[in-house]
Amino acid sequence: MIQVQTYLNVADNTGAQKLMCIRILGSNKKNANIGEIIVEAIPNMSIKKSEVVKAVIVRSTKGLRRESGMAVRFDENAAVIINNDRSPKGTRVFGPVARELRDKNFAKIVSLAPEL
Amino acid sequence: NLASSFALNRNLSSSISEGSGGGAEKATEELLSLPEVEKILNDVGADGVKVIQAPKRCEFTDYIVVATGRSPWHVRNISQALIYKIKQKQKGAKRMLLPTVVGQEGGKWIVIDSGKLIVHAVDEKARAYYNFEGLWSENNTNTDHHYQELGKAFVKIRPTRNNTKRR
Repeated sequence: MIQVQTYLNVADNTGAQKLMCIRILGSNKKNANIGEIIVEAIPNMSIKKSEVVKAVIVRSTKGLRRESGMAVRFDENAAVIINNDRSPKGTRVFGPVARELRDKNFAKIVSLAPEL
Repeated sequence: NLASSFALNRNLSSSISEGSGGGAEKATEELLSLPEVEKILNDVGADGVKVIQAPKRCEFTDYIVVATGRSPWHVRNISQALIYKIKQKQKGAKRMLLPTVVGQEGGKWIVIDSGKLIVHAVDEKARAYYNFEGLWSENNTNTDHHYQELGKAFVKIRPTRNNTKRR
């Protein structure tokens, strides 16, 4: 449940450290969960500070529920910075990612991820 | 009846509470077998085809194939050739099961995901940028080895071309 003004950790090696959500793309919803694209601001270092970038949420403390009844929750909220054609800007992804990203057409991030 | 086994705390302070395994695969039999894929990639003229057996952390797939294209058009052609072959194989069936294709619009990195087999069609710049060999080699734990890469960074390797039209 990421909404505007939420701070997120960065799960890739772009050099950014903190991202703040400023909009949830694609719908008029108030909250976003894993697999949604959001627009971010205030990164650090290799991406310029306070640049607006797109990112996809890969971990959330709210978590997901699968049809089998299993629930997945993480200890932090994290996102991966992507560019317009859904490929990640960095070269590596850190930390586990939710498996549902594969069904939402983020197979690139899933293939870079260290574990699921 | 949830068979819950709690994972140990990972070093990145994330803990997952999950049962055993993830979602089941969509189809039990493959859309395209490995030798067929290799043959198609050879016919299309993809360079640097590498078949990697998926490491243990990638439980969602068995084989990863990486192929390089010479231009964005070529990369798109590789993905379309594979899809064409899959469609041909399933001709006459009631329902066709097509793989997921990610990245079709920009010809830089196209992933063709068909369950057990994942094909990455990249162009040369993307392959160097993302460094797939380093990522899926067996002893890699997804940490950056800066010292090794610096040694190779200034060596220019001429890529071998799989081009049928030789002058």
